[in-house]
Amino acid sequence: MNAMRNHEGLKSARLVMVLSSISPLFILWAVRGNTLIPNRYFIAGCCAMILLPNGFLFLKLWTAKRHTDTREITVGTAEDHRDHLLVYLFAMLLPFYTTNLSSWREFSATLIAVCFIVFLFWNLNLHYMNVMFAILGYRIFTIYPPQDNNPFSGRESLVLITRRATIFSGQHICPYRLSNSVYWEVE
Amino acid sequence: MTLNFNFDSIKSIEFGVGHEVEDEELFSLVSVDKNVKTALREMAENTWDVMQSGDDPEEYQPSEKHTSQEYVFVAIDSELALRIKSLHQATNLSLNAIAMENPETLLCYFSRMVDSKGKRLTAIKRASQFKGIVRKRLVQFVTDTLKLVEDRTFKLDNDFDMLVDSEHIHILRPSGFEFIGELQEVIRKAVPSNVEAIQKEMPFVDFSNIESYAGNHTRAARHLASIRSQRETQNISQSLLKKACKTHGIDLHVKDGKIMIAAGHEMDFLDVLDRRRYELELVEGSPERYRAGSRRKVQD
Repeated sequence: MNAMRNHEGLKSARLVMVLSSISPLFILWAVRGNTLIPNRYFIAGCCAMILLPNGFLFLKLWTAKRHTDTREITVGTAEDHRDHLLVYLFAMLLPFYTTNLSSWREFSATLIAVCFIVFLFWNLNLHYMNVMFAILGYRIFTIYPPQDNNPFSGRESLVLITRRATIFSGQHICPYRLSNSVYWEVE
Repeated sequence: MTLNFNFDSIKSIEFGVGHEVEDEELFSLVSVDKNVKTALREMAENTWDVMQSGDDPEEYQPSEKHTSQEYVFVAIDSELALRIKSLHQATNLSLNAIAMENPETLLCYFSRMVDSKGKRLTAIKRASQFKGIVRKRLVQFVTDTLKLVEDRTFKLDNDFDMLVDSEHIHILRPSGFEFIGELQEVIRKAVPSNVEAIQKEMPFVDFSNIESYAGNHTRAARHLASIRSQRETQNISQSLLKKACKTHGIDLHVKDGKIMIAAGHEMDFLDVLDRRRYELELVEGSPERYRAGSRRKVQD
């Protein structure tokens, strides 16, 4: 019954979007280098972890536009969550950047820790937390649904990536769907 | 009748399905690609074209025997439209990635469209062949060989059963409206309020036995809903009503100044109030009395 009510799909797409969101970490690692793995392999690996997920992200944005995969969202209340990027910075970039990758044990432990973080971001639907969006001038809003008595209205909050500075209660927006909980507004 | 929606400037098209799970209706959206959206738009336009091809529509009446395809309408604020109105006005309907996994529980499918002025149109279709097709064996022509289609396949129809705009439900197939709107249940639940409203306009009739009768007989409950929605009890003359009842052999008596309908004559009395009884005398001295399953008021 609960499964029928609400099921977040696009598991692989969300996973790749999480990998895309951690690509700045691989930029930093590629710049720092590593004493265990020869540079050409290590940098190539880091480049793959930067290019492939981000390439997929842009493909996803392009496909959503091409298929006009839009959904009408009615705003109950909206909260600007740019501060989530700070959480992201402290949870991801700073701890991993400062880890010492000079032994295989350290390196393995760090990779496992990255896997845990990736799982958490995937599981908690935090795949929208991507520095790329901030660089491109987008803000991240959490949209809460209107409080009506309609039995069929959705009750889940959604994430909207948009260039708007403010979003008002009662506003109707038709953004593109990146996942069932994350939406992207172009204009 | 006009449609409060512009097909030429559609901004968004969504697709969704209605399920019945554990006696509860669930409506959720399903992601579809551009081609399906185009097909949904064409279906909605076809539906409107069919509606426009006939005469001006009559208002839907629960007591009327409608044909399988007949354009009628209901105001969106009508009590009969409650469920459909809720679906039309629901905001942020949930997306469900596994909504199509149990096609046997499908009740209907629908499409919600928004035009550039923000006006919304909801088009709804009862799921009959849409869920039925998955059980059939389909073949497709690949190169020069017919092959069995292994994937589950769903078939869209040519048109929808109804279109809903901000003012009306435009119904092309009344049976689809009754099924999706769960009208039988709505009408039965509305018996007390319908009787109360009719009683106010006809204080000289005791409706208590009719209320209990309609509680157990759907046809009578449908008549009550029609009588109320058509405002057919306004300014009814007590003497003319008695005369009509006498003409049609309806047994009644007056108690404490109120007309009481005898047991077994409740349906006949409701027929009279719903203007479904008439008498013709084409052969002198042989009046004939009829009951109209379907009737339409003749405009002067």
